[in-house]
Amino acid sequence: MFFALLLTLAAPTDWVPARWRWLETKTLDLLSGTPVNCLLIDWNAQQKTEAAAFAGAAMARGVSTLAVIRPGGDPAEPARDAIRAKFTGVVLEGDFSKDVTERVKAAVAPAPLIELTLRSRMRLASKEPVIGTYQGVWPGIPVMEDGAAKAGPSGSPWINTNAGFLRAARAFGPSTIWIANLPPPKNVITADNYEQVIADAAMVGARWVIALDDDLARRMHEGDKAGLQVWGRITRQLQFYEGHRDWRAFRPYGKLAVIQGVEGGALLSGGILDMIGARHTPVRAVPPESLRTETLAGTSMAVDVDAAALTPEQREVLKAFTRSGGTLLTGPADWKESGATKPGQITLGDEETKRLDDIWHDINAMIGRGNLGVRLFNVSSMLSNLLVAPDGKQELVHLVNYSNYPVESVTVHALGEFHKAYLYTPEAPEKKLEVYKVDEGTGVDIDVVNVSATIRLE
Amino acid sequence: MTRRELLALMGAAPRPLLKVAKAAPDAPTAPVAIAKCASYDGDVTATLATMFDQIGGLERIVKGKTVTIKLNLTGSPGLRLKGRPLGVTHYTHPKLVGATAYLMGRAGAKRIRFVESGWALSGPLEEYMLDSGWNVRSIAGAAPNVEFENTNNLGKGKRYARFKVPADAYMYPAYDLNHAYEDTDVFVSMAKLKNHETCGVTLSLKNCFGTLPASIYGDDSGPDEPNEKPTTGRSAVGHVGKRQPSRSAPQELHFGVNNDPGYRVPHIVADLAVARPIDLAIIDGVESIAGGEGPWIRSKPLRLVQPGVLIAGRNPVTTDSVATAVMGYNPRAERGTAPFQTCDNTLLLAERHGVGTTDLKRIEVVGVTIAQALYRYEG
Repeated sequence: MFFALLLTLAAPTDWVPARWRWLETKTLDLLSGTPVNCLLIDWNAQQKTEAAAFAGAAMARGVSTLAVIRPGGDPAEPARDAIRAKFTGVVLEGDFSKDVTERVKAAVAPAPLIELTLRSRMRLASKEPVIGTYQGVWPGIPVMEDGAAKAGPSGSPWINTNAGFLRAARAFGPSTIWIANLPPPKNVITADNYEQVIADAAMVGARWVIALDDDLARRMHEGDKAGLQVWGRITRQLQFYEGHRDWRAFRPYGKLAVIQGVEGGALLSGGILDMIGARHTPVRAVPPESLRTETLAGTSMAVDVDAAALTPEQREVLKAFTRSGGTLLTGPADWKESGATKPGQITLGDEETKRLDDIWHDINAMIGRGNLGVRLFNVSSMLSNLLVAPDGKQELVHLVNYSNYPVESVTVHALGEFHKAYLYTPEAPEKKLEVYKVDEGTGVDIDVVNVSATIRLE
Repeated sequence: MTRRELLALMGAAPRPLLKVAKAAPDAPTAPVAIAKCASYDGDVTATLATMFDQIGGLERIVKGKTVTIKLNLTGSPGLRLKGRPLGVTHYTHPKLVGATAYLMGRAGAKRIRFVESGWALSGPLEEYMLDSGWNVRSIAGAAPNVEFENTNNLGKGKRYARFKVPADAYMYPAYDLNHAYEDTDVFVSMAKLKNHETCGVTLSLKNCFGTLPASIYGDDSGPDEPNEKPTTGRSAVGHVGKRQPSRSAPQELHFGVNNDPGYRVPHIVADLAVARPIDLAIIDGVESIAGGEGPWIRSKPLRLVQPGVLIAGRNPVTTDSVATAVMGYNPRAERGTAPFQTCDNTLLLAERHGVGTTDLKRIEVVGVTIAQALYRYEG
């Protein structure tokens, strides 16, 4: 019976994860009709019996359970206990050594083990179905003491995001990426905020591990109507992305490539990828390890962040790229965003930010007003991602609005000729959009973007 | 102006002491129309059409002519107050712009050109408008021959047009502007009903400070020749007089004598009002902000306001005087009195240049009265 049920569970790459703080089986009712199918539960040896009952009930509903184990003591024993208690797998969350991780993995095999570790320790190019980190910024527009939004160098508000890091991390390998940061404590987290953090990860193909703040969790547990409405918004936003699984096969559109490795700061938030993302220029992250002639196919501009780190073969690829007409921006040695090796660091320091201003000036000058796939207007409070279908015949433009206010009248100028356009939002059915010709190719207008919207061009 | 209006205005003025200038008895006057317009979702076009009729008819002004309309799109489109659309805070609203284009087209305008020197803008104005959330296609389709031009640099022109201040210039003997301000028969200033940190109020006169191209008057303008890719505002040249504009343009008359923005900007604006006269002033007071001109202002708290009025007139000084009164201020208040606590009164300076009267007793108000439209911007 147990093994039969196990077979009904989704594969790890299809898990839609949420941290769960309850072992009462009735709380599983909250998952009815939602895409959440994987619960991360802090392992507590004192509650083995309740945990086993809960895991069994979850499995009966097709929901996987993962026991979360943190540093402190030997994790192998509690991991085994969790599997004995019918948990589907184990999550090691924290800074575990590679040896320990391997030992736990062997102890629970064939049950899956997922690591939520430091960004710098993620097994980026591995064959693990899921890799993850607990380190993330809380996405949104930071507000100053007087309530005004912080502005970036463009004059537009700066948006805190994990998107640049996730773009870079996804470029290393095929693993599904989870980002499992927690809501900032002592903050009011609105439904908009939850939707934004989900969309921030989803628009670049990653998944945020749902984590409820204390207040929302309490209200949901008490059956509070407003709390349940927030939960409804969260799951609707999840459904929006999970309901379009075909989008996951789309790949980043790339006329502009940023070649950046871990040592060059690829895993830091607020770096070059986020700066380029803030100006809505479609960009593709290319780790040096993946730098081959075919990787740069279709690319017309490239930024080589850390030239000194390239191998002679990789440099040859870039030479060939420039010989074939590509524009390459290669910075001096001190360009690289040092600090990536500091374990706790996930954003740029002041000095690095200052240095980035110089880099940014050159990148900005290189990109200019050119259309490198799509140009978006009235999107200063948004971030976007342009993806192309495997057959190259369709494109997706993901938009995420971080402003907590709907944005009206967004205009899209896509490079190339498209005959049809469709708008997808969490709150409304698919809508066909009027397409019109513009100098760069195809224009499309969107009336309003609440938190997220996706345009499909074909 | 009725006695009732006057009493209402006096009641609106800051107490207890008013520093009020003497009226210039011979300054020109012209009627000013005020209309109630509760929201942009209402019939803005019909309201505006009535107002144009009340000030003498639009056809008489624009038929067969090229019309250039200077908008107020101050500050980067990315800077928003509490995330609100720009048109309900500090930009002229696109619905008013579309309605104006439609009515002018209907009145027989040969060509309608919307212009603005967008913040740090060197590209097309249309893209700046798109970034502001405007439906440019819809505005372009509101009338035949609608054009857009960024006047922050040469734009579509080949040379700058020189506008001389006829006599007794305050700051500069002449100003070099984008060709659009010369290649036109009718010049319209479409402003927003707002306070201004430097000038107290920003209405149809102050809106024209934005005709100065940053390529010449910007902080990063070339010392000798214009910088056609400006990336900054006009603070160093215009506000504080730290440097002269590009030498290709006429230089400041008394450079280094006064570095007070509260003196300089109103005087430059008054100069511009005679160098490039305004033929029609339209002020958008349907929704706006009080306390300053845009979300970057920190000296006073900003408030979203809904005065629910539109104001229009053929003379920018009479129109701005009425608008200032609608905001609850005395348009003849001198420096030291609200809203001109730290600046000279641009309206009085323009009046001294002979542009129009600020004396409400000499201005015919049509439509609703000042008292009916009164919306106090001060606290």
